[in-house]
Amino acid sequence: MTAITEGGAPRAEEVPATAPRAQAIPKRRRLSLWTQLKRDRTLLLMTVPAVVLLIVFNYIPILGNVTAFQFYDIYVGFLHSPWVGLSNFHNLLGDRIFWHAFENTLVISAVQLILYFPIPITLALVLNSVMNTRIRSFVQSVVYLPHFFSWVLVVTIFQQMLGGAGLLNTLLRRNGLGTWAVMTDPGAFKFLVTAQAVWKEAGWGIIVFLAALAAIDQALYEAAAADGAGRWRRLWHITLPGMRGVIVLMLVLRLGNALTVGFEQMLIQRQAVGRDASEVLDTFTYYYGVINNNFSYGAAAGLFKGVLSLILILAANKMAHAFGEDGLYRK
Amino acid sequence: MTTSILTPAPAPTRRRRPTERPPWEEKPTVVGQAGKGVTLIVVLLVVLVPLYSIVLTSLSTQASVNIAGGLVLVPHGITTAAYQQIFSNQLIIHSLLVSFAITAVGTAVSMVVTVLCAYGLSRKGSFGHRTILMILVVTMFFSGGIIPTFLLVSNLHGYGQYWSMILPSAVSVFNIVVMRAFFANTAQELIEAARVDGAGDWRILRSIVLPTSRAVLAVVTLFYAVGYWNSFFNALLYLPDNGMWPLQMIIYTYTLQGNTLPGTGTTAGQYVGNQHLAPLSIQMAVVTLTLIPIIIAYPFAQRHFAKGMLTGAIKG
Amino acid sequence: MSSESAQPVPHAVSRRGLLTGAAAIAGAVAAAPLLAACGSSGSKGPGTTSTGDLNKILPNYIPNTSVKPDVASVIGPHGGISDPLFLSYPSSPVKTVSKVPGSGGNYTTITPLWGSIPPSSGNAYYDAVNKALGATLKMQPSDGNNYDKILPGLFAASKLPDWIQVPGWWDSVLNFGEAVNKFVDLSPYLAGDKVKDYPNLANIPSGAWAAGVWNGKLYGLPVYPSGAVFPGTFFYRKDIFDRLGINADSIKTADDLAALGKELTNANAGQWAFDDLYGNAAGYLGQIFGFPHANASKWTTDSSGKLVHRYETEGIIDALNWEAKLVKAGYVHPDAVAANTQNGKQRFWSGKVCIVADGTGAWDGSDAKSGTAASPSYNRQAFKLITKDGSGTPTIELGNAAGMFAYLNGNLKENQVKELLSIANYLAAPYGSAEWLTVNFGAEGTDYAMQSGNPVLNDKGTKEVATTFQFLVTPVTPTTVKEGFTQVAKDYAAWQGETVKYAVKPMFYGMNVTEPAQYSSIGQPVEDTITDVKLGRKPISALQDAVKTWQSQGGNALRNFYEDVRQKYGDGRS
Repeated sequence: MTAITEGGAPRAEEVPATAPRAQAIPKRRRLSLWTQLKRDRTLLLMTVPAVVLLIVFNYIPILGNVTAFQFYDIYVGFLHSPWVGLSNFHNLLGDRIFWHAFENTLVISAVQLILYFPIPITLALVLNSVMNTRIRSFVQSVVYLPHFFSWVLVVTIFQQMLGGAGLLNTLLRRNGLGTWAVMTDPGAFKFLVTAQAVWKEAGWGIIVFLAALAAIDQALYEAAAADGAGRWRRLWHITLPGMRGVIVLMLVLRLGNALTVGFEQMLIQRQAVGRDASEVLDTFTYYYGVINNNFSYGAAAGLFKGVLSLILILAANKMAHAFGEDGLYRK
Repeated sequence: MTTSILTPAPAPTRRRRPTERPPWEEKPTVVGQAGKGVTLIVVLLVVLVPLYSIVLTSLSTQASVNIAGGLVLVPHGITTAAYQQIFSNQLIIHSLLVSFAITAVGTAVSMVVTVLCAYGLSRKGSFGHRTILMILVVTMFFSGGIIPTFLLVSNLHGYGQYWSMILPSAVSVFNIVVMRAFFANTAQELIEAARVDGAGDWRILRSIVLPTSRAVLAVVTLFYAVGYWNSFFNALLYLPDNGMWPLQMIIYTYTLQGNTLPGTGTTAGQYVGNQHLAPLSIQMAVVTLTLIPIIIAYPFAQRHFAKGMLTGAIKG
Repeated sequence: MSSESAQPVPHAVSRRGLLTGAAAIAGAVAAAPLLAACGSSGSKGPGTTSTGDLNKILPNYIPNTSVKPDVASVIGPHGGISDPLFLSYPSSPVKTVSKVPGSGGNYTTITPLWGSIPPSSGNAYYDAVNKALGATLKMQPSDGNNYDKILPGLFAASKLPDWIQVPGWWDSVLNFGEAVNKFVDLSPYLAGDKVKDYPNLANIPSGAWAAGVWNGKLYGLPVYPSGAVFPGTFFYRKDIFDRLGINADSIKTADDLAALGKELTNANAGQWAFDDLYGNAAGYLGQIFGFPHANASKWTTDSSGKLVHRYETEGIIDALNWEAKLVKAGYVHPDAVAANTQNGKQRFWSGKVCIVADGTGAWDGSDAKSGTAASPSYNRQAFKLITKDGSGTPTIELGNAAGMFAYLNGNLKENQVKELLSIANYLAAPYGSAEWLTVNFGAEGTDYAMQSGNPVLNDKGTKEVATTFQFLVTPVTPTTVKEGFTQVAKDYAAWQGETVKYAVKPMFYGMNVTEPAQYSSIGQPVEDTITDVKLGRKPISALQDAVKTWQSQGGNALRNFYEDVRQKYGDGRS
């Protein structure tokens, strides 16, 4: 977040975050590890509850992924199931269907990144610029509701509107315009799921950005207007930079989750568009791991996905640093 | 500056009356207004029409539903029978209480843990904060799956206990990361000056960071509360006793009645016994009931990130 | 030999040849995992069973003669037995259990439930049943759709209740051949003629117990057993047919059926001829086109006696081509094409589709009630069985006589097991007895009242009564009048009686064959391809390619495996 420097005196308000704290700590002197620990012991103490909970309820079960290296039998347990080394992974990487699911996942993720990601931001900006508080409140209090619908309901609604016997097609058919089988078209599927995700989640997704917008000091706008900056300039120089940190954070998190594009949503529509279009990593794990009692295989697929996602988020974070942003955390 | 840094920030600027434009904003252009108007109308329609249809279906007679062959758009007959049927289930009242309790306790626990952890990780250069952050983030990408988690909770004697609805999912790393980002951007000068004044981290958290972070606190509280209220899977796994079930599980079962989830490939229609197949109206009543608590709770949170609230300024 | 009955019985289901046939070969066969990898765990579990041992294990069949149906079961020549029809409840129901079965014990149960959950306390129905039982069964019904998600955890952590029901279609998810070690072996209590201590359990035909026998021991109590379990059949709206002057009896070939597509489709009016007739792995069309179609049935033999899998038959190709043609021509409802099975019944009720394929459970009074609410002239009827080209006799495969079984926790002590079996005896009281009314309807006056001779739940009853105790053990399913639709019950019984004449047992009928785990998912790509082909997305050659891949990935190995089974244990049909 940069201060307004053009055309005006430097502000007295602090510019948070990215400015180096050069003035506070002399660069040359590094504190010893022990001194740092003592200095920060309160901070570390504060993180203890969360870390303990995660270790107990996340890390210990994660050890269960050891079944990826076994031929797991749930009655024999982890300790006694036979070890098969890397053969599960070997099978996984040689599985054509796995790679197909992987490809689908990446493609859908890319489409959603381009078509979905900017929408909550844009919507938040539009809402923010509406003067009438009543309208703004009303829209905000309605637009997030689809987030609470189950995917089954969302697909049903889409089917009702866009399905072959739905509203749109009935109108088209009655007027002799031919039908548009959008819900069963494998080629359009990636756009269909994106549209569904937008409808369901965009309204909820604006919340974080609204919070970010609310944190921008209003006096900055006043001062900029006084200095002659028009609305677009204010957007470019105050609003967007003010949101930049949050946007980049969301982007980094999104990239880290690039391999998770949906499960129930794909499951429900699998038959409608066929496996070729709808198989993603999570449905693959389900159909080839879980429901056939092949937990080891599912665990292997899960591990593969997890490792890749970790690499992705670290890379995304590095890129964010290259753009001068904090991202997930600052080096 | 004569007052100590540690007194709370000055009061926010006066709230503008609705539709009053601040003096420095220029009048909007016609094109701008039209563009915004069109966008908002499209957004509203796309959300409200299905919503209207859902609520209408929940209030429609079976005959209406059949004429429509699905969700109802044009009302033909109105009845509250669906809601009556749901509310006459004696389990509903108790499950409402269970849900409230779990949401309240769970949100409180989660918020305490999250705020502490987020603040603890938000100071630049603090010892090991990157390592701990990575430890947290890793859990976003790996999970043990249902069986190991179930084994763990049941070995901790959580099977059939209410805490199994709270502790296993008390920490959301996403929420921690978001809150941490907001905390990290809290005015550095204030904090530095407070340190110089001899304030410890607890004091800084309480007196500086928290009061200026109302927006993100409201947002994360909302996220957690919604998460607990809608939680369903933990109850399914860990609470065999129907008497302990939260609301979501009870009303979800109204949507089952002989229907199977697509993709599960099972058909149990012939085992339904005495049950009638659920009318669509009951399913939509369930959906509507799920929305009501959120519609009530959301404005409370929204106040905190509405435009015009100043979240802390440092006047020269 | 099992199932002797000295005196002649009106039910006639006691005929020896039939029951030995049904009971003959049912065993748990889990071959030692054919692991290629090193460090094999060896034969983890089940051994083998000889035919003689099996016949000793199954409980004898001693039919109850005190309750007489309005229309008796029809016995088909190959093992099908239609359900008895009761048009009204006997006016003075007999008591089949003379003393209170329980001795004050407290037990927990877990059962699935596809429906709204009844209250767990203050429930007059639960109280009435528990009082009659003289013990307390704590009923804990769980979400039926997600039941498979809770089971693996319960099994892995051994957090099983005293009495748990497991639907048969999830046995493979649980590797059930090993899971049974956690349950009580009921053979010492029920095998052979030991079952005579429990007359109502003896009233369940021996064949129904077969799929609850694992590794040569009897574990499962049958739930909703029936001798006429079919994957389903094809239904039509007779009222619409009458209106258009179509005679269902004139449909004798697959082409006749397809020809109805044009007559019955009027997209502008929102009416389509067909829903998805192939179904979701149920393969309803298998009946017409002559390939294995019962849910558990996958194998048949070709003319040389070699085992041929369902995927490899000519019939499946014909069926898929047939359906793809209909989809392309636009005769199948778009929502069905989009796999919207949830609203399938709704579509049929409102006449948006005229011909559906559905399970036989869809044809009863409850369905008629919903249907007539949608279309006042609603009349569901089923087609007579047909063959692909009209020649020869049609056949339809039987499903396992019981699709679900309930098991008792292995930690129970002997006196507890006996108490529970005594309770099971009460719960299994046949239709027409006094006990059946209590178990299924609760207390008269409080939860139900008799209307025109049939019990009907009142308002309190609809909230309190659900399929709970019935999922622990059930007597033979009768056909009854529901919601006052007597004609529907009669029609259904007549159809069943006619159909069992054509019912045959598929290969490996009733045998709990546990396939080696590494082949469990090779069928998934084929199923996905089948969906693509049936909906016209891919050509039939895609299926043939998928089948070739299936064969090389394990299909051929599976064939050898089953050939082995056939050699050792027969094919379940003799």
